[in-house]
Amino acid sequence: MKILVCIKQVPDMESKFKVDAAGTWYDTSDLAWRMNEYDEYAVEQAVRLKEQLGQGDITVLSIGSDKVKETMKKALAMGCDRGLHVSDDQAAGKEPLQIASVIAAFAQDKGFDVIFTGMQSQDRGSGQVGVLTAEILGMPSVTTIVDFSCDGGVVSAKRELEGGVKARVKVNTPALFTCQLGLNKPRYPTLPNIMKAKKKELLSVPVAELLRADARQQTTKLYFPEKKGGGIVLEGDVGELADRLVQILQEKTTVLSR
Amino acid sequence: MAEALLKGGEYLITETKCEDVFTPEDFSDEQRQFGETTQQFIAGEILPRVEEIDAQNFDIVVDGMRQCGELGLLMMDAPEEYGGLDLDKASSMLVAERIAVSGSFSVAYAAHTGIGTLPLIYYGTHEQKEKYLEKLITGEWCAAYCLTEPGAGSDALGGQASAVLSEDGSHYILNGTKQFITNGGFARLFTVFAKIDKVHFTAFLVERDFEGLTIGPEEKKLGIKGSSTTPVALENCKVPVDNLLGEIGKGHKIAFNVLNVGRFKLGAAVTGAAKAALETGIKYANERTQFKRKLSSFGAIQEKIADLNADIFASESLVYRLAGLLDDKLATIDKGVEDYYVQYQKGIEEYAPECAISKVFCSEVLARTVDEVVQIYGGYGYVSEYPAERFYRDERINRIFEGTNEINRLLIPGMILRKAMKGELPLQAEAMKAFEALMTPSFDDLDESVVFAAEKALLANLKTLFLILAGTGVQKFMDKIADEQEIMMAAADIAIQIFALESTVLRAEKALTGFNERKQALVRAAVKVFAFSASEIIATAARKGAFYVEEGDTLTMILSGVRRFTKYDASGLLAAKKLLAEAACEDEKYLFS
Repeated sequence: MKILVCIKQVPDMESKFKVDAAGTWYDTSDLAWRMNEYDEYAVEQAVRLKEQLGQGDITVLSIGSDKVKETMKKALAMGCDRGLHVSDDQAAGKEPLQIASVIAAFAQDKGFDVIFTGMQSQDRGSGQVGVLTAEILGMPSVTTIVDFSCDGGVVSAKRELEGGVKARVKVNTPALFTCQLGLNKPRYPTLPNIMKAKKKELLSVPVAELLRADARQQTTKLYFPEKKGGGIVLEGDVGELADRLVQILQEKTTVLSR
Repeated sequence: MAEALLKGGEYLITETKCEDVFTPEDFSDEQRQFGETTQQFIAGEILPRVEEIDAQNFDIVVDGMRQCGELGLLMMDAPEEYGGLDLDKASSMLVAERIAVSGSFSVAYAAHTGIGTLPLIYYGTHEQKEKYLEKLITGEWCAAYCLTEPGAGSDALGGQASAVLSEDGSHYILNGTKQFITNGGFARLFTVFAKIDKVHFTAFLVERDFEGLTIGPEEKKLGIKGSSTTPVALENCKVPVDNLLGEIGKGHKIAFNVLNVGRFKLGAAVTGAAKAALETGIKYANERTQFKRKLSSFGAIQEKIADLNADIFASESLVYRLAGLLDDKLATIDKGVEDYYVQYQKGIEEYAPECAISKVFCSEVLARTVDEVVQIYGGYGYVSEYPAERFYRDERINRIFEGTNEINRLLIPGMILRKAMKGELPLQAEAMKAFEALMTPSFDDLDESVVFAAEKALLANLKTLFLILAGTGVQKFMDKIADEQEIMMAAADIAIQIFALESTVLRAEKALTGFNERKQALVRAAVKVFAFSASEIIATAARKGAFYVEEGDTLTMILSGVRRFTKYDASGLLAAKKLLAEAACEDEKYLFS
């Protein structure tokens, strides 16, 4: 089975973010970088699938500057077999369709049976790249999966829907899956595997060779939400306080409605 | 290639270029991944259970060690032919640093991988390694090291434990009591030191199940409560002759060489703990409001945060510079040669003074850090519910074990002077030059085009000062200088601060071009803050030393030399501290990881 996993390098979410000089993205200097959390579930699921089948070949793909190779090496250390780095210093400025077109252009003639992506990236969060890629490739996509099993070319996946509802989907391969929190617990790459990953194939191609879509969106402004006003401090007799609290909750929230 | 040809202690008489030092900015992608795996494992599996561990639930520790084994964290120093990874020291330092936040668990890890496993790796026969090494590097067995006895702590060779060959020649019969044995409660393999026929100090590999070995009760301790510390009693303990480690009568080699690595690694571990402690302190300073202002907005608190950032930057620079030195030295040894580990030991022993410096300097930075972090927390720092208290208690042992800081301080100038006497370091010739410099007034102007010109000039002067004081001491006391402990301690402080400051300046210079503007300004600030602190500490130690050794006109002359050679223009010091503090409070962490 041929498996593709698409991953993105994102800043550590505990970083202190600043808007960049152009005012359209965050300032990328002086940040610590890591693998997008949802993509870690994707990598883990790909490796588990290969382990379950006892055979297979996993390609990990990432788009970005040379720096993203560090994150790709982590995926290789987790168990991916080879890496394809699409070299692009302006990846952050590309809209989801452009990113999807690059992935699809690469994947088109490779015969991947299963493609895993994260359900969204932690920095841009469009949630579109996976589904757009599947659409371009003409394969079904199953989004926000929290459970995955594969038996003879048929995948059974559990999806997480709004309001705590789950759905069970069966689909024939080839198909694309976007991975959600709860799907699995990603392994820590072991030191021997980190060393072995050094010898795995990690090729780079310039983005121009794969980019098939023009930009149609433009980010005009990136900004922090305005700070909301301070809270209300209630003072006085406990009984009165309780009444006033109930009143406020009834008027301003839905927590007490039936 | 880093400063491969720099000998141990040679930093005191030579100038090093920044290209020649290893720094944390030089880590490879793989090394960074080792660090990440370790950090995620500790954060995910160990930190949530720290309280249970501190309540001495050792099953969690043993289980955690097994998980470490699965991740490969126990095989870093083991040779490849026995399933190890045989990685460089910089990698194992980084891992030790990342494990350190776990307090007690980190002590179990360090004892196992260091003093527990290294004797076998360095001195074990092929058969011994075949038998035990796999068990140790997979975490199936934990290891312990039994040197200390009730009557023999710092005087490690003064122990009473004895070994006698059995009549049939098949076993050694061990008797004695070992004390403060880390991992004693659950270790399966003990490296035990005992004197054969009460004379020949020798090491033995002793299994927990060997007849005659008894584990005593857990000690009740001030800190690292979740680490196991027990006595180990040997009553006619039968150890097969095949389990004698190394050579008869050469146990002291094993004991001391393993401690060199331990001291160096302890420097890395305490640096990791210091970063974690500082981070909680900064976060609290940002949260806590008094007088309607955040604590972190007060200069009194900011200064602490700035000083600690500079100190930890120095610790980190020192540890990884030393890692680079050792790695380059060890890389010159052909792995194929039969006496590989003999040469390897010599390589590490070469830097024994720097290993001791790492232990003393970094453990004292951690001590200042945890003390100030408790202070930032105020009353809450004294309450067990908050993390400051655990950091504070867990810190204290670091200045005691792996050789007390006093023993290590004595060793630093002691070993350096011994190298000089053996003709390995031209200290005497350099000291003559230093005395000439003392007599000759100097009007050198700083070349401002040189990066960190003021700090480099200061370093050159501090080295001259060390030579003047060491030279004066040796002149007066000759080979009895080692007995003048007060003077040795002062000399050690000077040697320690010089190594720390030089490592700091060289790292800063090397890293500068790769940093953005903000970080460049921060590094410059850290260098200024630390250079000021180091020059003041050295001035005090040097003055003290001068008063101890000399009197009359010579004293007056040396004191004027102290003034001249510790002069450092720290203009902008307050602004530098404000800059560091504000940035650290904004990032809510140690600034240079």
